[in-house]
Amino acid sequence: MSKSAEHSPKFEHTAQSADEDRILRVWTPLLLRTILVVATIILLGGLVLMGTHSPGFYAQRYHIIQGGHVHEKQTFVELLQSAVEGDPHSVMTVGLFVLTLVPLARVAFCFLLFIKERDFAYVGFTAYVLAGLVFGMLLGRIG
Amino acid sequence: MFEILVSLLALAIGAGFVGALSGLGGGVFIVPALVIGAHMPMTVAIGASLISVVATSAGASVAFVRDGWTNLKVAMVLECATVTGAVTGAYLAGVIPTVILELLFALMMLQSAYFSLRKQGDDIIEHGDPLAKKLDLMGEVPDEGGRTIHYEIVHVPGGAALMVVAGLMSGLLGIGSGALKVMAMDYIMHIPLKVSSATSNFMIGVTAGAGALVFLARGDVATVIAAPVALGVTAGALLGSRILPYANVRWLRLGFVVILLLIAVEMGWRALSGI
Repeated sequence: MSKSAEHSPKFEHTAQSADEDRILRVWTPLLLRTILVVATIILLGGLVLMGTHSPGFYAQRYHIIQGGHVHEKQTFVELLQSAVEGDPHSVMTVGLFVLTLVPLARVAFCFLLFIKERDFAYVGFTAYVLAGLVFGMLLGRIG
Repeated sequence: MFEILVSLLALAIGAGFVGALSGLGGGVFIVPALVIGAHMPMTVAIGASLISVVATSAGASVAFVRDGWTNLKVAMVLECATVTGAVTGAYLAGVIPTVILELLFALMMLQSAYFSLRKQGDDIIEHGDPLAKKLDLMGEVPDEGGRTIHYEIVHVPGGAALMVVAGLMSGLLGIGSGALKVMAMDYIMHIPLKVSSATSNFMIGVTAGAGALVFLARGDVATVIAAPVALGVTAGALLGSRILPYANVRWLRLGFVVILLLIAVEMGWRALSGI
């Protein structure tokens, strides 16, 4: 162990494969753009919500939530249906879901990458993370 | 209606701005801003914060990835630990008393304050331990002179154990737990600080996303609060990261430590007076 040990540029092990580097450099800005698009949809949903509801709606909802009553539990099918029908509140909730899923999609791409590279230890790690996310959603539904 | 929305947006933009300037992330500041400033229940604040953390980490990770410091394999191994912790934490946040959440939040603020003040320096390892070698956990990072340095990694299980705690705190308290993640990688696994910071940021989106999914699926995310908060925190964070290169970091850091200690006192007081 030494402080700032220096090596020649040639190493026995490469730091990242070309595919790993591509995941980082291509997907990361792409994810940011997706998040910006979703954020814009949420913003538009918010503007429509404010335009179509009475002025007191937001304040009323805000105070109900302050009191600890959130009540946002719908099935995914109900939520998607009402979003497709154009309900701005549901569009915003779906937007928040998509926003959350975006970085998780990158894990799915890594999973596919490691399958392609036949790097089975990492296929296992990424599969575990994906399974954990699905388990978390189920746990949220039950809990 | 507009006064409430404008004050909520102002809190969110302020939290995102301070989070980016301090390097601690928006979550550390938005939860107390919502609980203390907007009188929101702790679980509503945590749910909104987790989604904000996902959105802001995507913005910050672009800069880190461009610099080439992110270690994808380290992130993938440790995400197993953080996701396990985050899902457990987010589940527990729905069932354990608010008093405990407030007390834990106060403790995490003290840890963040310590993290901001600690001496920073790299201790680069030339020969990693067998497990790290087997998992191909190593990389290269430029030093201050622009020369490339090869680093290896030790104590993967110890680092992963602290990552479970980081994930747990993220899901329980709605924070990114960046300070704990960097400490696990930097202190325990001896990963260079730049790589630790970049990889931590890469992992934060997945950790907070895992916790946020539990909250969303449970119906604990109040859309009318979480949506403006996520947009505000992201806008504040983008603004903060633009100003950061021109800021006097040493004075700022002292200022943030004072803010963190004040939050710790307030949250601790709330917890103790609620017992």
